[in-house]
Amino acid sequence: MSTLTNQAYAATPSQRLVAILIAATFGLALVFISGFASPETIHNAAHDWRHSHNFPCH
Amino acid sequence: MILRVLKAALVAGFLAACVAATLQTFLTSPLILQAETYEKAAAPEAHAAGLGGLLHLAHVQHAPSDSADESAWEPSEGFPRIAFTALATLVSGVGYALILAALILAAGRRFDMQTTLRWAIGGFLAASLAPAVGLPPELPGMGGAHLAERQIWWICTAAGTALGLYLITNVRHHAAIGIGILAIVLPHLIGAPHAEAAASDVPAVLAAQFAARSLAVAFAFWATLGLGLGWYWTRQEDRTRSGFLTQAASVTGERKAV
Repeated sequence: MSTLTNQAYAATPSQRLVAILIAATFGLALVFISGFASPETIHNAAHDWRHSHNFPCH
Repeated sequence: MILRVLKAALVAGFLAACVAATLQTFLTSPLILQAETYEKAAAPEAHAAGLGGLLHLAHVQHAPSDSADESAWEPSEGFPRIAFTALATLVSGVGYALILAALILAAGRRFDMQTTLRWAIGGFLAASLAPAVGLPPELPGMGGAHLAERQIWWICTAAGTALGLYLITNVRHHAAIGIGILAIVLPHLIGAPHAEAAASDVPAVLAAQFAARSLAVAFAFWATLGLGLGWYWTRQEDRTRSGFLTQAASVTGERKAV
């Protein structure tokens, strides 16, 4: 039974690789947008967060 | 798999953003507003004195959003500004949670709360504490070198520290430990880019208080992120297991009945 239940939620290596790649890409993109992106509007919207979290801001 | 990662990262990012945004509203944002009054007071003086050199350049370079560029949109004071700060915190929170989850998966570790908390503390050391050693958290109006140079140093330091921590804690080999220490120390040996003569009207006490509070908020942010990621992941696993057990039990029951 335990083998059966483990198989039910364990992912295959390819599923894991896809999850790692998608998570890393989306994660880096989101951190870049909120912390580094230079367009003035994005900078102004995230201004106080960038200062508070020590992203180089100005 | 990817859905589970996305769901856990959204939950962890949301919880971390709730904690960090609340702390920021009371601890760091008031100091930013206070510093902006010095920045705005210093701006006309610099122009009036005709200081075309460093001070003028410093102002133009350092405050594009606060006073120099009138045309660019910015959230109005009060609630909109707090809301956009919280939104940016959420975006970063989900982003960091996704990166953390990707790294834990790639390292083949389990997602229990102890593990995710340990990795999140690593995230704090790599992305908050190590860059702050060279580039301390700055208030608006404080001097700094060229933005792109500082951003590149920040990214290299965070990546180097993360790599170093991984090598030291996960690869039990002398050479790996040596390379790990080098990866952590090298950005600091090269040194963070600093402006030659960064003058600021912001009082030193305000700047020191901001740097300390900023790191404290960052620690709370990362700790919540790690605990949230582990908590929700374990919860999803338990649900899948109990759901499957119920299903299996009902199938066994049907077979017995037949």
